[in-house]
Amino acid sequence: MNDFSELERELKKLRPVQPSAELTSRVGSALANSGEGAGKVIRPEQFRINWLGLGLGLAAAATFLIFARVDFHPNDKTKPTIASATPSLQQKAAALPNYQATGLTQVVYSKRDEGLVFPAGAERPSRRVRTAKRETLQWRDRQSGAQLAVSYPTEEVTLIPVSGQ
Amino acid sequence: MENVATHEDWKVCFSELAPGLVLFARQWVRSTPDAEDVVQEAFVRFWRRNLSIKNRALLYAAVRSAALDLIRRDNRRARREVEVFGEAERTVQPQFEQLDDSQRQLVAALDHLPRDQREVLVMKIWNELTFAEIAEALGISQNTAASRYRYGLAALKKTYQPQ
Repeated sequence: MNDFSELERELKKLRPVQPSAELTSRVGSALANSGEGAGKVIRPEQFRINWLGLGLGLAAAATFLIFARVDFHPNDKTKPTIASATPSLQQKAAALPNYQATGLTQVVYSKRDEGLVFPAGAERPSRRVRTAKRETLQWRDRQSGAQLAVSYPTEEVTLIPVSGQ
Repeated sequence: MENVATHEDWKVCFSELAPGLVLFARQWVRSTPDAEDVVQEAFVRFWRRNLSIKNRALLYAAVRSAALDLIRRDNRRARREVEVFGEAERTVQPQFEQLDDSQRQLVAALDHLPRDQREVLVMKIWNELTFAEIAEALGISQNTAASRYRYGLAALKKTYQPQ
């Protein structure tokens, strides 16, 4: 790092311009308009657990997992769900009742941590992770051995609540 | 232990941090008024949440988040600006006070850095965040933050020759 000490000194000599005086008054007004901003209490611990929010979040996650569950056994419940995104294939599969689901492949080709975000209404910040995948569902005809595959891109955004230091 | 923040407290905090925060926000938006809007939104949001001002990483993450939200909200304008200014990756040069020729050259070199290196430099040099704080704010590892800082300085050194 010593190689850069002179450069660092040069950079530190640059002084950012002062923001407009109006900005401070705008922040003051915004805090005053909240009715409580100026009298806020800064707590040593950064976060408080919102049990209601946590409970609702877990319930939502459980509901999502239930609906996102992939069942490889062919039944009337799964077929329309999968085929609904691909109507032409749905018609073909429906016309061939011997088709049996044989596999699901998920290829994650991009996973990006987008850093901390502050979701509206949330008490705590969360880490946003964006995952891009390609899912491929496969069916096979029991009689003819013909195979059918549906492939589509998906993107998933996950908010992971972070805890304080 | 609780500290009651008075009206003066936020003013003291804000006056110390605002220049660096605005400079930080300028990396994503094209104008100082936009950067000030972003800083205002983030600071007010941060202060209302009772977060400790000592946790600077969260404050900078809030600024970054507010800036990215602004970009998304104003996507049409951003596209227009990209058309006008050419390159999406380039932003308007950070504004510094009283630049001589050599410093102008340095600022121009800084503006040509990749965004990920430039944001680490801005956080480290003008906001004096530690690599741990930078890593937390950007959602990267400390090693990555340190590497980006080194790469940024190395790139600057290549293009900038002090007179």
